[in-house]
Amino acid sequence: MSPFGTQKGGDVREKGRERFIRNVPRTKGYVAFAFVLALLLAVTGCAGQAAQPGGGSEETPTLTVIGPWSGDEEKQFRPVLEEAEKELGIKINYQSQRAEDLQNVLPAQFSAKKTPGDVIFVSSSWLVTSNAQHLEDLRNIWTEPEKFRLSAVEADGKIVGVPYALVVKPGFWYRKSFFENNGLEPPKSWDDFRNLLAKIRGISGVKNPIASGDGVGWPLSDVVEHFLITFGGPQLQLDLIDNKVNWQDPKVKEIFSERIVPLLQDKSFSDPKEWTNAVDLWWNGEYGLFFMGNWITGMVKDPNDLGVFPLPDAKGIVGGTDYIIVPAYGAHKDEAKKLVEFLISKKGMEIRAKQGGKLSSRTDTPTDIYPPADRAVAEAIQGMEILPDLDDTIGGKWQNTFWDRLKLLWVKPGDLDTVLKTLDDARE
Amino acid sequence: MIHKANDDGPLPGEGQRGYLLPRSFVSKLSPEREPFWFAVPALLLIFVAVVLPSASTLVLAFQGPNHEFVGLANFRDVLTDPETLNLSRFPGHSPPWGALIHNALWILIHLPASVGLGLLLALLFREVPGNQILRLFVYLGMILPMVIGGVLIRFLFDENAGILNGALELLGRSDLVRTWTAYPETALFALILGSVWLWVGFPLVLFSSGLTTIPRELYEAADIDGAGTWAKFRHITLPGLAPVTSVVVAMTILWELKIFDIVYVATQGGPGGASLVLALQMYFAAFRALDTPHASAIATILTLLALLVGIRFVRTAKGA
Repeated sequence: MSPFGTQKGGDVREKGRERFIRNVPRTKGYVAFAFVLALLLAVTGCAGQAAQPGGGSEETPTLTVIGPWSGDEEKQFRPVLEEAEKELGIKINYQSQRAEDLQNVLPAQFSAKKTPGDVIFVSSSWLVTSNAQHLEDLRNIWTEPEKFRLSAVEADGKIVGVPYALVVKPGFWYRKSFFENNGLEPPKSWDDFRNLLAKIRGISGVKNPIASGDGVGWPLSDVVEHFLITFGGPQLQLDLIDNKVNWQDPKVKEIFSERIVPLLQDKSFSDPKEWTNAVDLWWNGEYGLFFMGNWITGMVKDPNDLGVFPLPDAKGIVGGTDYIIVPAYGAHKDEAKKLVEFLISKKGMEIRAKQGGKLSSRTDTPTDIYPPADRAVAEAIQGMEILPDLDDTIGGKWQNTFWDRLKLLWVKPGDLDTVLKTLDDARE
Repeated sequence: MIHKANDDGPLPGEGQRGYLLPRSFVSKLSPEREPFWFAVPALLLIFVAVVLPSASTLVLAFQGPNHEFVGLANFRDVLTDPETLNLSRFPGHSPPWGALIHNALWILIHLPASVGLGLLLALLFREVPGNQILRLFVYLGMILPMVIGGVLIRFLFDENAGILNGALELLGRSDLVRTWTAYPETALFALILGSVWLWVGFPLVLFSSGLTTIPRELYEAADIDGAGTWAKFRHITLPGLAPVTSVVVAMTILWELKIFDIVYVATQGGPGGASLVLALQMYFAAFRALDTPHASAIATILTLLALLVGIRFVRTAKGA
């Protein structure tokens, strides 16, 4: 028996179906074929359109803005975009993409003369310069360089990237309540600092005096750069970036062997651990200090409980930014440039600064507009030289090598010579 | 039986085909060529997405930075690079030993561990009531995206959150507590062990289904002959599972050769290159150093290794 009825019944249905098929007009086959083809074209067409920025009507163009911020950081950035939409009469489609992903995506997209966004924030100046031929010249926007704490990125005779909000790595963060409860005070000298670490080590429940952030690797490089700038001076940082001083230079080696390695050997620093996890552990009192950029003010439950100190006698600190670029392949390049102009304007920068988590890169932004925790940072860095981030500026594979070797140094401080030699070899 | 289309309309079976495609086109198709036309879209896709990029990579592997022909220079550079092969440290010192050796170690440790454990669990679960639920729990590791797997491995061996360190503390060995993925001596082995947990579901499921294909009568006959458990396992179970085993071994080796995501997320190949593997080395060469010839040479080596396994697998499968 057929599962669909009796054999006889099945034959009848089969004959009926044959008749039906025979009666289908021949044109119907073409219609179906054309429909399938049209559907395929529509789907691929839509996909292509979605991949290209610059949609919207002629009156209100939609700009795709790509930045690395999501979650709370995105919330802090949204008000700026909303104000830009009002002021410029545009619509903005904001997409969040990690800086690491952009490093992979942008070169491939640009090679195909395409861009995923009209305005893109890139954290590494190296990535900007290495793609300079694909970027618009922003010289007409960069008219007041003296009003900025950081320089624009210049390549191929063009201004290809302009600095947005400033992040600084001001030093070691602590909880004011933790310090008060344990009778601790920020250090005023190197000996004070060592004594502070010894006191923190003695506090019940503390695993290590300093939490070491890790993950991709950059948190360790920030710590090392702070030591290099403090004990070698701001010029050493610049010379290392320009490859004028090598890593096995006695001056550099001395900073490592006399300042960093002893702290690693006596376990003042914890093992490297995923940095967002490290924030929680430090906040919960398992560690006393945590070296991080000022964006940490947006990551803790009570920013007013935050205190920060640089290493005593530090003359400079690392300041980083996300450089704004306008790719040459967007559909709304003029509107994109106007948006960039607004973002780095006094008004645009002040809106961002008010949200906290980042500082204005402009020198004419008053400090009283910041939330308290950020205001403290803004005041603390006044008079200090703001220096470019070493590994972000050098970039490329060397950056990965730097991060990776520091992870090794953190658990094998005795391997210092090998680590420094590898850094020199990789630079060559 | 071969039907021919005629002017009166399609014969049974041809109707559905003629309904979607222009009938005049369908009528021109000879039955012998028909399967080919059905395969055309898939073949086109494979050509565009696999064959062309592979050929392009192969060509790049023999070119210099300016697309000039350099012969085997890129392969020589890759194979003499300590990142690939560091015989000065192997085996006397702790890693890094080079990505090639790390991949080989991955196969040497992970393959017997995951295949053996999968077989053992399949045998144990065979007679257990509700074994499907047990299998599901073990298979969860396979369902997880490997990126999540990498994050979990990182936490598994973390000083503060890790279950391994928790167990060590319970056993009174707090002196051994550390972040295992942060140390060069242990990072690679921690990843390999963690990946056994992620992969063991695959051999378990295949061996479980393989066991159901072995006729029960063979075991009953062996019982009558007085065969012991080991004898039954050796002379009935193992030969009965041979075809499945060849699939499991081949797929596991291929997985181990192309391992990337777990390492990328958990250690980035560190510390100090101690857990670097070929696929990650290729990624760094391509997207960090922007050195496509070097990356292409690594990709070609990786493909050749995978091909060796694949060919061996096909031959074994044919034999089975």
